[in-house]
Amino acid sequence: MGIGLDLGSTTTKGVLVDKSGKVIAAHLIPTGAIASKAAETVLEELTKLSQLELGDVSTVSTGYGRTQVKFAHESITEITCHSVGAHNLNPGIKLLIDVGGQDSKVIRIGSNGRPTDFELNDKCSAGTGRFLEVMARVLEVSIDELGPLALKSKSPCPISSTCTVFAESEVIGRIGSGESPANIAAGVHQAMAAKISTLSRRVGIASPIGVTGGVARNPAFRNYLSAALNCDLWMPEEPQLTGALGAAILAIARASDTV
Amino acid sequence: MSNAQATEQSERILKQLVDKGKPILGYVYPHTPLEIIMAHGMMPALLFANPTVMGSYEASLQTFACSFIRNMFSQRVHDQLPYVDGIVFPGNTCDSLQNLADIWHLRFPQDKIFRLTYPAGDQGEAAVQYFAEELRIFSNSLQDAYGSPFSDDAFRLAVDLVQRFRNAVQFLYAARLLQPSSVPYHRIAAFVREFHSAPLETVVDELRPIVNDVERSLAEAGRVDSTKALQHALLERKLEDVSLPSDLPTPRIAIVGGMTEPQAIAELVNAVSKVSSTAIVFDLLSFGFKTIFTPMPALEGDSFETMARSVLGALLEPTQEGLPKRLEFLKDVLTHLAIDGLIVCEQSFCDPDVFEAPSLLAVASEVGVRSVRLPVDPEFSDRARLEGRIQSFLETLAHGGAA
Amino acid sequence: MSEKAYRVLESHNFLQGVMYRYMLEGHAASEEGKLAWVTSGFPVEIPVAMDVGVSYPEQYGAIVGSEKVGPKLCGYAEELGYSQELCSYARASIGSVKYPEESPLEGLPAPQALLACNNICGTVLRWYDAISQMIGAPVFLVDTPPLEGEQLPHHIAYVRHGLDNLVSFLSEQFGTTLKEDKLREVTDLSTETIGVWTQCLEACKNKPSPLNCADRFLAMAPVVAIRGRDYTLEYYQTLLNEVKDRVANGLGAIRDEKVRLLWDNIPPWFRVFRIMGSLAKRGVVFPADTYTHAWTGSFKDEDRMDSIASMYSNVYLNKGLEAKIDKMCGLIKDYDLDGFVMFSVRSCKRYSLGQLVSKELVSERTGVPGVVIEGDMVDSRLQNDAQVETRLDALLEMLL
Repeated sequence: MGIGLDLGSTTTKGVLVDKSGKVIAAHLIPTGAIASKAAETVLEELTKLSQLELGDVSTVSTGYGRTQVKFAHESITEITCHSVGAHNLNPGIKLLIDVGGQDSKVIRIGSNGRPTDFELNDKCSAGTGRFLEVMARVLEVSIDELGPLALKSKSPCPISSTCTVFAESEVIGRIGSGESPANIAAGVHQAMAAKISTLSRRVGIASPIGVTGGVARNPAFRNYLSAALNCDLWMPEEPQLTGALGAAILAIARASDTV
Repeated sequence: MSNAQATEQSERILKQLVDKGKPILGYVYPHTPLEIIMAHGMMPALLFANPTVMGSYEASLQTFACSFIRNMFSQRVHDQLPYVDGIVFPGNTCDSLQNLADIWHLRFPQDKIFRLTYPAGDQGEAAVQYFAEELRIFSNSLQDAYGSPFSDDAFRLAVDLVQRFRNAVQFLYAARLLQPSSVPYHRIAAFVREFHSAPLETVVDELRPIVNDVERSLAEAGRVDSTKALQHALLERKLEDVSLPSDLPTPRIAIVGGMTEPQAIAELVNAVSKVSSTAIVFDLLSFGFKTIFTPMPALEGDSFETMARSVLGALLEPTQEGLPKRLEFLKDVLTHLAIDGLIVCEQSFCDPDVFEAPSLLAVASEVGVRSVRLPVDPEFSDRARLEGRIQSFLETLAHGGAA
Repeated sequence: MSEKAYRVLESHNFLQGVMYRYMLEGHAASEEGKLAWVTSGFPVEIPVAMDVGVSYPEQYGAIVGSEKVGPKLCGYAEELGYSQELCSYARASIGSVKYPEESPLEGLPAPQALLACNNICGTVLRWYDAISQMIGAPVFLVDTPPLEGEQLPHHIAYVRHGLDNLVSFLSEQFGTTLKEDKLREVTDLSTETIGVWTQCLEACKNKPSPLNCADRFLAMAPVVAIRGRDYTLEYYQTLLNEVKDRVANGLGAIRDEKVRLLWDNIPPWFRVFRIMGSLAKRGVVFPADTYTHAWTGSFKDEDRMDSIASMYSNVYLNKGLEAKIDKMCGLIKDYDLDGFVMFSVRSCKRYSLGQLVSKELVSERTGVPGVVIEGDMVDSRLQNDAQVETRLDALLEMLL
């Protein structure tokens, strides 16, 4: 068996797989202030869900808090873990776009499932989940409502700023001039998709393309990104768990290496 | 020694010099003619970015000023600069430093500010003549400001000292490429940093036993001659005939990217888990290779002219004409020195670096060398993400299959 | 409102014709294999005298900005790895070379050489180097190290040497030669054109001012881009006549002039007409700006190459902050201005870094208030309109 723990900035994900890579249990909680605590909680949940003794199971941690999980046997970056996770779910995927809470990454996946090239957003929050969170707050909807709201738009209103702070005041301005919330929400998604598209083209477009991470669940984001890349997008059933799944698979590989 | 310890140490040394009455001239540009400053009886001291300084530039500089000059200016505002009696800024290298000197002069009129303007054109003899004259003017202004004239004897001693230092470090650079286990990169970077912050005989003394050790370990493998040949090839920038041992450990990583401080970047890379101590084998940084492999000034003839030839004989900076030459050399480095990973540092808002990065990455891709972009600022304010990038890159190098 | 706050120049049609002709000439030169791209401070009289066609990417950047496609074209450059922190003229240019079909006028005509002069900034060299990597045309740099005070003999000699090299480069690249009398003719024409342009600028000392900032931003294009051509001179003579007419009849660029301001720096091309228009409604006019005043000077009757070396080394942006402050104070005094607006352009470090200090000093020396607004000339993603408006309002509240 193998355990993968993905400690993201927003959520912590855990996946337990058997030695064939099949998922036995999975769990997700908000990371909160102390990442190591979130990791312990997820591990306890995996134990409960699987009703197995997991003390000696090979464990790989990934994500921002990866080095804070003292009981993990190894820490591997989310770039590698997402690549391996996505490859496991759909071996055809050549390019993976992962958009998380404060990070977005584009990964070129090699034929062995390992990354061959990658790009990350720079340190500003443009093009990350945080951008959408801020815009949702301005539009007074929840983050889960933002995508569906955008889908109602017939003519998205252009939001030119990709800087979160600038875009916030641009959106406030649009609200003030009477633009409909749906059109603004659509514009916000378009701006976000443009930013991710630029990042993707730096790595080079290679289809089929997969999308993962929390933001991938947002249908409007997928629509606009698909349009910006002029390409269909594949999404796993549980896009947020891809990194943890990859970590769990690497944990098995690690255990068989060391035996 | 960590970067922070290095800062403390260099400040301590400068303080001792100040107490002895030695005037200190701060500098910021890698190709500052140390020998000319020393010929005036002064001590040139490289001013480093201070990662711990509070940003206090906002009343004088916009946020899009390069991150290095913002740091430098904030240090001045907080009186955190080391003990210097004046600062020489470069002219005609980049727009940020060009304007910083003006701003500094208006904001701190009591500070002694000098400007040494460099030719940006790769124009052979005409550039040498122009720069020789600029050096003469600079020398005269030092004399006017401090009353200490240019001394031929002091110049000769300075040339000798700088050359002995460079020669020793050049040897270590070559050794690192042929036998990375013989000396850690961060160790070399620490010496370079120490010398830049105060070019003293003691640094050369400290280097000597290290060089001897390295030479011994190379001798065991019968590699002393080939190391010296490589040192020469690097100095001449002719790498076609370099031959390397076949059993070199991998990965072999080179770092490029302008004014990023070698020791700081070495420390960042070393902090990443799983990185092998033999991984970084080379750099093309301004405060690394480019200043170390600068040709020695001739001792014959006009001092300013020979100094100009020396400075302009270094590998060109992104602030100068000659991108195709730089790319050609990078390609030679990647192919002839068996580099398999390239880290390209982009200092935030540094136009010359940031403009050059895509071309550097393209060269790496052309010769099949994997590369990663590292957007840095002197504070490494994005440290977690930078470490993530480096670790991901190492994972990619270790396991990356066919694309 | 029946009347617009803003009077449109009749000579504007002439200007459009001039720019159209310039564009056609550029395409023709490109097809003949005789086109060079030049930077806005390049000693263009030399290629012109050698019968090499020229196109100005900076002016093209202004078109990209005006047509509001900056974010799109700059985005293409970002896809190639050029950071959003870099000059948006450069990014727009790189983007348009990559995707000409997506660009206004289908991009600039393709050049066979890239001629850069760093008297306006150091960035032009890196920008042209990047373009050269894409299209293979060689870069030639005329290096004019920034001046502090007087230009010294070794500086002139160095720049002069660069100009001589330029002549050799162009001869080799384009198979042409430089004839002394042709250079004299072209430089004379430039001097005369610049002279007429300067008269247009100086006419704005009148109250009301016959031209506003935006008028001059449009009208400056030929004096920057199409020097040494007779039709350029003809255009400026027409403009000068119209300006003189306005002055004679007491007609201002705006209907009701109340406040006279100085504009500093390149304008936000995607927003400048809207900003100027809405300020015009409130009686605000800009009789002077540092940008259009940067293309002045004359070729004196000595050795023409030395004269070129001297004039192009002494341009506004090649001098220090003190010189800029002096210039701004001079303009405020000479044009009797009530305040100033400094546009801090994120793209342009050479022009913008130092504005926070010069703002204080200009206010101190002239006694008039100023404001710094931040944004960009081409990339509207870098500009926060709400923030700009608030700051302009605050300045006007002090003045109106």
